[in-house]
Amino acid sequence: MPETRHAFHEELENLEKQALGALDMIVATLERALEALMHQDVELAQIVISDDDRIDGRYLEVHQGILTLLATQAPVATDLRTVAALLHVIKHVERMGDQCVNIAKLIPITGHEPPVDEEMLATVVRMGELAISEVRQAKQAFELRDVGLAQDLVRQDEEINKLNREVFRMGVRAGGSDEDRLEWVLTIVMVARALERVGDNAVDIGEQVAFVVTGLFREFSDASHPLPS
Amino acid sequence: MTPPDETSPNRTEVVEQQDAASAAAPQATVGAPEVPTRPGEDARAGGHTISVDDLDAYYGEVHAIKGVSIDYAANDVTAMIGPSGCGKSTVLRCLNRMHEEITGAYATGTVKLDDTDIYGSSIDVVAVRRSIGMVFQKPNPFPTMSVADNVSAGLRLAGVKGKHKDEVVEKSLRDAGLWEEVKDRLSEPGVGLSGGQQQRLCIARTIAIQPDIILMDEPCSALDPIATLKIEELIHELKRQYTIIIVTHNMQQAARVADRTAFFWLGELIELGPTEKIFTKPDNQRTEDYVSGKFG
Repeated sequence: MPETRHAFHEELENLEKQALGALDMIVATLERALEALMHQDVELAQIVISDDDRIDGRYLEVHQGILTLLATQAPVATDLRTVAALLHVIKHVERMGDQCVNIAKLIPITGHEPPVDEEMLATVVRMGELAISEVRQAKQAFELRDVGLAQDLVRQDEEINKLNREVFRMGVRAGGSDEDRLEWVLTIVMVARALERVGDNAVDIGEQVAFVVTGLFREFSDASHPLPS
Repeated sequence: MTPPDETSPNRTEVVEQQDAASAAAPQATVGAPEVPTRPGEDARAGGHTISVDDLDAYYGEVHAIKGVSIDYAANDVTAMIGPSGCGKSTVLRCLNRMHEEITGAYATGTVKLDDTDIYGSSIDVVAVRRSIGMVFQKPNPFPTMSVADNVSAGLRLAGVKGKHKDEVVEKSLRDAGLWEEVKDRLSEPGVGLSGGQQQRLCIARTIAIQPDIILMDEPCSALDPIATLKIEELIHELKRQYTIIIVTHNMQQAARVADRTAFFWLGELIELGPTEKIFTKPDNQRTEDYVSGKFG
């Protein structure tokens, strides 16, 4: 039997490429934000902030594309789930972009030569690397409709969460009474929090992969009712 | 068809009794208290069911329907969808024995209205079609009759006359959502109405004789979008009283009006389920491919 909605499926594929392509933009933005953080590069941080307009623009494009598709094509079954999932994906992308902006805005606060705690900085950079890895994996899981890969995001996210708590403890220990030091420490704690949220967004995208494949929405992990460790 | 069940308190007897009652009491009125009990009258409050078991239908040597078993729930709207030639209209026509009207066509298996095998040897086919009414693709009001006469055409055959007839005409037109539009034109020709009005007139004609089941064979395919939406609204209203089975090529219409949807392909029932499930997460890949337009 010939495919009867070729144009629609082509349109849906393009929409998916646009939405998942936005995750590549997030990876690039995260890498810049981390580099800016490591080198206290205020100018690069400014580029991260400016570039968020591109991510917001992509969000609007995909959002409009989804509305058009719903209005004109009335997708059903897997197509409908994919469209619904893409709406979530692009929203999470937009949120991740905002977290990158949050990080970038923190960088100038501490000045050009802040009193850096190398161990704390290394830990937060490690968090950033894990967040980038999660975003890449979320994209791959969606492309491949691989629920196993999507669920594996929880494992990575637990590592980020653990490091986030560690950064907080380091901050408490390293704060002291030096105002500059305290300012830097608090900044890094907030950067860690932003990266932790990026990881959560990646897991949320993974949950959408499972929804597209199985038709059931389940949170991979329940933050409000965590299992006892 | 399967042999008639001699022992069960079956519909055959009821149909025969009802016909005799109609003949003996020409003053009887549909919808009035003195109306004799119609087939399945007791079940009306709870609606009526049709159960199809192992149905095979043929056009001569062409095996069009293959072993279809399906239960149509009471007061549900069940949509039958599938590509052209998949057999959905043939199944529909088997439900009120219209299929056998085609030369060389026949069916085997069991079709039960509530507990009565409508293919039983002593069943009155005309009474079956009165109990299981049908609305066709193209509105087909009787061309020489007025609006009112179109509605009451079936009543006259049942011997209903006079004031009661007028009451039934009004009620049927009201139930079909047409009364306000035609109440001042009752004596004008039915064919003078718009296409959508004509189709609602045909629905009024169908419900005037209080069927147990209403079959609809692509009832909106010849109508404009507004007339289509009016019919769909009407289907929502009618299902309170009737069990409705609709064949449609319009999948969005199935999604809008049906409680359950059945997908047919190459003469087989592929999947039957709640409409929401069929259009969001069907179990069968062929259903998925069809509803999402990967073939058709």
